[in-house]
Amino acid sequence: MGSESSAQYIHMVQHLIEECIVFNMSKEECMEALSKHANITPVITSTVWKELEKENKEFFESYTKKREEKSSSDQETETSQRIQNILLDSSKKINDQ
Amino acid sequence: MIAVSPLRNSKNDREEEELMEGFSMEESDFPDFCVGNLLDSIDFDDLFVVGISDGDVLPDLEHEMLADFSSPSPLSGGGEEESDVINPPSSLSSVENFDHDEIKSASSSENATTTNNAAIVINKKDDEPNVAGERGRKSMAHSKNPMGKKKVKVDWTPELHRRFVQAVEQLGVDKAVPSRILELMGIDCLTRHNIASHLQKYRSHRKHLLAREAEAASWSQRRQMYGGGRVATAAATVKRENQHVKPWIAPTTIGFPPPVTPPIPHHFRPLHVWGHPSLDQSMMNTWPKHLTPPPPQPTWPPPPPHSLPPPPTDNSFWISHHHHHQHHVPTPGTPCFPPHMPPTRFPTPLVPAGIPPQAMYMVEQPQPPSDIHPSKESVDAAIGDVLTKPWLPLPLGLKPPSVNSVMVELQLQGISKIPPTTCA
Repeated sequence: MGSESSAQYIHMVQHLIEECIVFNMSKEECMEALSKHANITPVITSTVWKELEKENKEFFESYTKKREEKSSSDQETETSQRIQNILLDSSKKINDQ
Repeated sequence: MIAVSPLRNSKNDREEEELMEGFSMEESDFPDFCVGNLLDSIDFDDLFVVGISDGDVLPDLEHEMLADFSSPSPLSGGGEEESDVINPPSSLSSVENFDHDEIKSASSSENATTTNNAAIVINKKDDEPNVAGERGRKSMAHSKNPMGKKKVKVDWTPELHRRFVQAVEQLGVDKAVPSRILELMGIDCLTRHNIASHLQKYRSHRKHLLAREAEAASWSQRRQMYGGGRVATAAATVKRENQHVKPWIAPTTIGFPPPVTPPIPHHFRPLHVWGHPSLDQSMMNTWPKHLTPPPPQPTWPPPPPHSLPPPPTDNSFWISHHHHHQHHVPTPGTPCFPPHMPPTRFPTPLVPAGIPPQAMYMVEQPQPPSDIHPSKESVDAAIGDVLTKPWLPLPLGLKPPSVNSVMVELQLQGISKIPPTTCA
C-alpha cells in the first residue's frame, strides 16, 4: 500500500466522519454507520475521529457540548411531552366523567 | 503534455547535440524542424512550458529553426526528410506549434528514439525523401528569410527573454509588435522573425497560464459557494479555520433564545401551557416532531414568516425527516437556515447556532436531516455520495490529521495496512 493510497483513504474516512458530524452523530454512531455503509473498520473510523479531534479540538469540544445540550433538551422534551400527555389524558378522563 | 515536453526537450536536446556533432549533415538536408528547434526549445521550456498547440505558425519559424540548427553547413532551402526524422520527439511539441505540416514529421520522429535517430534518419532518408523534401520546400517557400539562406540561431537565454518580456509588457501584450519589440530590446543579432516567433510562443504560453488560472479560480469559487467559504486553497485554509473557530464557540455563548425566535414562525408557538421560557425554547426545537403545524406564530419578532423562504427549508430542520421527508433539503448550496442569520452565516459553513444545529449544515450534500435522529437513508445517501464522489469538498473542512500520526495510531491498534484488505 503506497503512502498515497493511505492518505487518500484517510481523507475519505475524514470526509465520511464529517458527514456524520453534519448529521450530529456521535463517534460510536459514526463508527457503526461507516462500517455498515462504507465497510470501514470501526477501529479505523475511531482512530481517524480521534486524530481529527486532536487537530480540531475547539470544534469537537463545542460539538460535544452541543450534543450534550441537545440530548438533555431531548430528555427534557421527552419528559415534558410525557407530562403533557398525562395531563391531556387526565383532563380527558375528567371530561368524560 | 506540457509537463512532458520540457523534459523531453532537454533530454533530447542533449542527445541531439551529440547526435549532431557526430553527424555531418549534408547541406541539402536541412531540418525544417530541426534540432535547432530543440535547442531553441530548451530555453523556452526553461522559461515557460511549450505545450502549446497553436495552429498558426509563422512561416519564418521554420527558417529560424533551420538557422538554429547548429550544423556548420548553411541551411539550404530544402529541408529534407532527415531533418524531419531527426526531430526528436521532444521537438514535437514545439514543432507542432509551428506548422501543420511539421506535425507529420513530428509524429514520425516521435517514433524514433533520439539515439537511434541518426541511423533511422539515414535510413528514412531514402524512404521519405519526397515527403520531407516537399515539406521542406514548402516551408521554405512559405518563409522568406530576408537574409537569404543563412539563419542565425537565436539563443533565448533567460536574460534575453527577460528583456523580451519587458519590452512586450511595455508595449502591452496585445499591442506588442515584433518590430517595436526589436527596437525596444535593441539587440542586433535578433531578427524580427526571431522575435515574432518568440512572441507567438510567449502569447500562447500566457494564454494557457491564464486559462489554467481562470479554471482554478472558478473552481475554487464554486467550492466556496458550496462550502460557504470553505475555499480549498491554502490561503483560505487559515482564514477558514479562523472562521470556524468562532462559530463553534458562538453557539455555546448564544445559547438558545435568539435562534429560537425567528425560524419556526409558522410552525410552532411556544408551549404557553408551561409558561417556562427555557422549556419552551428547548421544546421548540423538538416540537416539530410531535406537533402538527400549529396556528401561525404571531409573536415572532424578527424575521416575520414571510421573510423566510417558505416551508421546505423550515421543514427541513424543524420537522423530523420522517414527517416531512419529502420536503427535505433545499437544493444543495442554499444557505443554511436559520433565516435570522442567512447572509452572515453563509461564509461559515457550520453555523451551529445552537438549536437547529444540524439544520445549518446544509451544505452540498443531500441534506443532513438536521434532526436528532438522522434517518438511515440520509446517512446512507450522504455516505454513498462521499464514496462515489471523493472530489467533493468536505462539508466541515476540518483540519486533517497528519497521515503519519494516523498510521502510527492504527499500527498501535494492530492495523498495519490501509485500506485494509479485509473489511470490517
